[in-house]
Amino acid sequence: MTEIQSSAGVPVIAAPPQEPHLPPKEWLKKNLFSNVGNTLITIMTSVVILSLANGLLGFAFGSERQWNAVAVNSRLYMSFAYPEAQYNRIWFSFATLLVLAGLSMAIWRGGTRMPFARLAKSAYSFGVGLAIMVWLAPLSTSGTVKWEIAAGGLLLAGFIFNRIAAQDEERSLSSLTLLVGTLASIIATLWFIPYGRHSFIGDRIPQVVSEPGTVAFSTKLPWTIMLFVLVGAYYLGIVLRDRLPERRTRSVLMGFWLISPIFLIYLVLRDPAFTMNHVLYTDIPLVLGFLVVGSLILYALTKPSLGEIGRIIAMLILLAGFGSFLTPMRMIIRIFLIALGLFSLAAPTFSGDKSTRRRYSSIWSGFIVIAGWLITAVNTPSTVEVPGDLFFGGATLTLIVAFFTVILSYPLGVLLALARTSNMPIFRLLATTFIEFVRGVPLITILIFFSVMLPLFLPEGMRLPEVTSVTIGYALFSAAYVAENIRGGLQSVTRGQHEAAEAVGMSTSQKTVFIILPQALRMSIPPMVGHTIGTLKETSLLYIIGLFDLLYVGRSVIPNQTAFIGSTRENLLFVSVLYWVISYSMSKASQRIEKRVGLGER
Amino acid sequence: MNETDNTITTTRSGRDLSDAPDIIVCKGVSKWYGDFQALEKISATIKEQEVVVVLGPSGSGKSTWIRCINRLEHHQEGDIIVDGVELTNDMRNIEKIRSEVGMVFQQFNLFPHLSVRDNVTLAPIWVRKKPKAEAIEQANELLELVGIPEQADKFPGQLSGGQQQRVAIARALAMEPRIMLFDEPTSALDPEMIKEVLDVMKDLARSGMTMMVVTHEMGFAKEVADRIIFMEEGQIVEVGTPEHFFTNPTEDRTKLFLSQIL
Ligand SMILES: Nc1ncnc2c1ncn2[C@@H]1O[C@H](COP(=O)(O)OP(=O)(O)OP(=O)(O)O)[C@@H](O)[C@H]1O
Ligand SMILES: [Mg+2]
Repeated sequence: MTEIQSSAGVPVIAAPPQEPHLPPKEWLKKNLFSNVGNTLITIMTSVVILSLANGLLGFAFGSERQWNAVAVNSRLYMSFAYPEAQYNRIWFSFATLLVLAGLSMAIWRGGTRMPFARLAKSAYSFGVGLAIMVWLAPLSTSGTVKWEIAAGGLLLAGFIFNRIAAQDEERSLSSLTLLVGTLASIIATLWFIPYGRHSFIGDRIPQVVSEPGTVAFSTKLPWTIMLFVLVGAYYLGIVLRDRLPERRTRSVLMGFWLISPIFLIYLVLRDPAFTMNHVLYTDIPLVLGFLVVGSLILYALTKPSLGEIGRIIAMLILLAGFGSFLTPMRMIIRIFLIALGLFSLAAPTFSGDKSTRRRYSSIWSGFIVIAGWLITAVNTPSTVEVPGDLFFGGATLTLIVAFFTVILSYPLGVLLALARTSNMPIFRLLATTFIEFVRGVPLITILIFFSVMLPLFLPEGMRLPEVTSVTIGYALFSAAYVAENIRGGLQSVTRGQHEAAEAVGMSTSQKTVFIILPQALRMSIPPMVGHTIGTLKETSLLYIIGLFDLLYVGRSVIPNQTAFIGSTRENLLFVSVLYWVISYSMSKASQRIEKRVGLGER
Repeated sequence: MNETDNTITTTRSGRDLSDAPDIIVCKGVSKWYGDFQALEKISATIKEQEVVVVLGPSGSGKSTWIRCINRLEHHQEGDIIVDGVELTNDMRNIEKIRSEVGMVFQQFNLFPHLSVRDNVTLAPIWVRKKPKAEAIEQANELLELVGIPEQADKFPGQLSGGQQQRVAIARALAMEPRIMLFDEPTSALDPEMIKEVLDVMKDLARSGMTMMVVTHEMGFAKEVADRIIFMEEGQIVEVGTPEHFFTNPTEDRTKLFLSQIL
């Protein structure tokens, strides 16, 4: 180990050599103007960047720009034609997700500490950047003054941060504080800065009324509440995290992340009009019946010494499930029968002592309750009245399609990957054929196929909403890629792991569930996050299908409103920024997850 | 060479195992990798509570043989009968045998995503169908036995090689096996950690476990083995007690091997 004499003469252990901290002037000299060639390149690039920025700013702040089009139509962007009277449901859903986000950030200990010295640097660079941009932008004099004041504010903040850093190098700020602080300042401006009040007059015929003053109450109040909900949930999470068992809390929270979007869509947003009679005398008895009988059967089938008879019973139930398609019957019964068959088939893998068996039965009960309630909700007509048969659109549609694509394609992809690597030639053949076929066809072809052709293949009288068919298309497409990612993970699990699992007597399915898959899934997190972000962006193809996603609203709906004819470019710019913000924050979050799982270090 | 040649009567510390029941019986076992014959008509019988050390130069088929005994490798000719059950392709027989035969690998092969305690309890809970509380209690006892009770909540990656190998032994013992197979358990360890693993193995041998050990640790072989089996080129060359083997081996090939390593 090398030792360096520090100035005080005390030996210190050599840390990895750090870049010396240069004052700005010298930094510029070293990095940008070190010799004639570099200086030339720096100057030329700056000119190019500045002229590009000039063009973009000239576009964005030109006096003929109709940014009103975005402001007035923010509801269309958020949820398309969701009726104003029921809008609280949208806010409730949003708040639920924010509660989950707040709790998760606390319980997973999100956020990093940022030293004030670094903050000062960022504030300085943003301040200088903003000042230059304001100078380039074709703003009115008063506009220029206002924005230059804002830039000055940033520089001032940088100065203050620097002072704090000079006093105590260790002082740092949590990135969460910074995030909430930024959000709070933005929301505060809604209350104090007179952006103008824009609203529709009349029903869906956009006649814009702009009044002076701050934005409408129905905008600024909910957003303010949302901020409080987020912060409140975070502090609740902090209080809870020391009192609850960590691992259990985390898995419960993960469960909520999976369940709540479905709950929100079908129960909150869709607002189904349950008919009490039907629910009481058909749905509840059905669910209860399957719950009780299924639990008993599964409790019996998880008995360790059962042997072959268990598999026979499982196959019989599955057969009954698939056979039920030959006779007229309620869909819910068919689905439950098939599910029970699959649970029974898996029973020997999870057999064990009494408590293990009870747990397996209760997992079934939970599944049946959620599935039963979901199926009932889907089969009940919605009370949300909108033109067309879809009650959501805009960002909501984009996010919902992405969510369902992901939660359908991941399990499917895992199954495909397992099939492709299994010892059974028939599974291998089927999986390989499917994967290679899907990967050889453009996504848009598959989507059009599912939106136009799928209805022709459905049995007489069965009709799927177009979003559903298209989402199935997305999910199948995505599953092929997920499968390849997982397969990479599966192959990276060493032979030694297989042998160790086999040597303690695990069956193939136990080995897969307990040893191989957990390791494979962990290995495939980085490519999967990339894939998920890709999925989100690919939802913009809904535009071509003619569904009212974010892009459709920005590209075709708003620019056709009488008040905003020709505002396409403003809206496209806005939509791009929105996509970027979501994708960028997802990729940032994923980098943190990767570190957490320890992949970055291995 | 016939089977009776390989059966012993008296052993180390004067133990008489001649009346003990046979627990592993190999009859004319042959195995090929493609055209290459890795095992050639291996015949041997191992008695209950016996400790057998398998020696031989690299590539002689030691690993292949020991791995055939819990069917991590498949032999193509001959019979292997473990605890009265013949090893065939029937999966249920194999799973039964595997849960009675513990195996310790050169590379430890702990499950990296599970804590030490979960490594030890996983198979008892899901394969042996033990209640969880009982399995945890047993795991704690076993970790005590191998000398690392305080590491139960750590993950394998946080342990030294010697500690990992001891966890691996505890994991195998948790299935309450009747036979333990060791394939060069100390070859991947730094010298200062070899002893801690060998000590655990010696304790195990003393407690009456049937053990089959592939190793290059001659000290261990001399001290613990009831019998030494020397292999070369897929065949059993010589079988005998440690005294016989190290003092007056009969076969030339054995003498050559010993002269090279001692
Ligand atoms: N999977 C395999 N495919 C082909 N040949 C193999 C395979 N495994 C082992 N062999 C060959 O079989 C022979 C016996 O190998 P084995 O691993 O049993 O030797 P060993 O006695 O354990 O050697 P070592 O002391 O080096 O571990 C070697 O020649 C080896 O190259
Ligand atoms: Mg070997």
